[in-house]
Amino acid sequence: MMAYSEDDIARAIEYALGTLDAEERAQVEAKMSVEKDFTAMVRAWEYKLGVLNEMVGPVEPSPELWDRIKSVTGVSQPQEPVLLPELARPAPEIPPEPLAATAAGRDDTTASVIRLSAQVRRWRGVASFTTAMAAALVAMIALGAYQPDLLPSAIRPKPRTQVTEVKPSLAPAQPPAQAPQYVAVLQKDAGSPAFILTVDGATKNFIVRRVAAQPEPGRSYELWIVSDKLQRPRSLGVIGADDFTARPVLAAYAPDIVDQATYAVTIEPEGGSPTGVATGPIVFTGKLVETVPPAASGSSRPR
Amino acid sequence: MLTPAELVWLIAAVAKGDEAAFERLYAATRAKLFGVVLRILRRQELAEEVIQETYVKIWNSAGQFNPGLSSPITWMASIARNRAIDVVRKRTEVSIEEEPTALEVAAEGHDPLARREMTEELKRLLECVGRLEPERQKLVLLAYYNGWSREQLAAKFETPVNTVKTWLRRSMMDIRECLGL
Repeated sequence: MMAYSEDDIARAIEYALGTLDAEERAQVEAKMSVEKDFTAMVRAWEYKLGVLNEMVGPVEPSPELWDRIKSVTGVSQPQEPVLLPELARPAPEIPPEPLAATAAGRDDTTASVIRLSAQVRRWRGVASFTTAMAAALVAMIALGAYQPDLLPSAIRPKPRTQVTEVKPSLAPAQPPAQAPQYVAVLQKDAGSPAFILTVDGATKNFIVRRVAAQPEPGRSYELWIVSDKLQRPRSLGVIGADDFTARPVLAAYAPDIVDQATYAVTIEPEGGSPTGVATGPIVFTGKLVETVPPAASGSSRPR
Repeated sequence: MLTPAELVWLIAAVAKGDEAAFERLYAATRAKLFGVVLRILRRQELAEEVIQETYVKIWNSAGQFNPGLSSPITWMASIARNRAIDVVRKRTEVSIEEEPTALEVAAEGHDPLARREMTEELKRLLECVGRLEPERQKLVLLAYYNGWSREQLAAKFETPVNTVKTWLRRSMMDIRECLGL
């Protein structure tokens, strides 16, 4: 990320806070329209401060509002009530806290939630993870994993941290130097990374690193690719049994599907869904961002 | 309220043009977004206009949502709030008399019931806000929740606008440092 002056940073934060006047807001928006890094900084602060809205109580707008929205967007009466046809089970079977219920796969869920959050905290401590910086940080982690020598020694991955540990025997062949790398953080919500998915742009090999998720006995995590170009989510196999899972199966998909898709993790019976269709609730999701090609000096192209 | 993961799926479906998903997304989130916007705009019809524009934008740009950067509701609320702030800054100033519940939200922050449901991110942010002097905490929270301009804040705190400007900047830079950003 480009280094910004204190004034720029203050401007970005005050834009997110909302205290700039109309003219200053217009100036910030003009800057955002030409500077991606600046836009990212503003958005990051919007999201950082946006958690304050958790405290705002809900207020019902008038019922006619939906009709107005429908007419403006051209949305007609929905024909199918089914919302998540990809799931074999209907939505009501998804527990209110999918992570809690499904991480354990049984009633005593508190323990696993606590365990998971403890792991997340630990990981945060290691990497100074913040929601807003997720993409940039993960890009760095990915770069570190593939080309550790390119990182300054101070931030070079330490072998003992789970996130950056690379077992050479499990890593696929080194990708060509110019191939872009794609990374997705698969998480329950912002700030709770569970898996990190990296995809090599040239070979389409992917690696899933387990960060915080632990499958319960008798249950497996299964990874799915979800795209509007696919009729339904397709399984990419069971993940999470080991710290690393490396597979070439993405090679079967077109590049634009691979890099635009949403990646989702569900809880399935041990060994994965027996039907090829997700049966359990979705516990983690994420999208790929492109990271800096190791040999290039240009800026990254987050999507 | 649906879980964040369910909202992510809904938004992904909306990005594909799934109208049923859009309706469910609206049903699940409208009251929250309306609450956020109404607090800033204070007038029902104005707030509903902004909500309408917000959902039109969500319908058109659901594909741009990146779950790696924010939770779905935070993304949606940011769109709504930005629009509300734009509207309120372009209007002639709303007088303070129109703000009968100005301090309610700041007080809500200390509701022990609500605290139970806070995310880690919110706790962390509030911890940093809580390190500011009490006056400045109020300043920041009023600015965020009520969308007040520096002029309105200056009137409220009976302080010159330039002082408010300085306080706001220092407060936000303190929060930034506290968050380690």
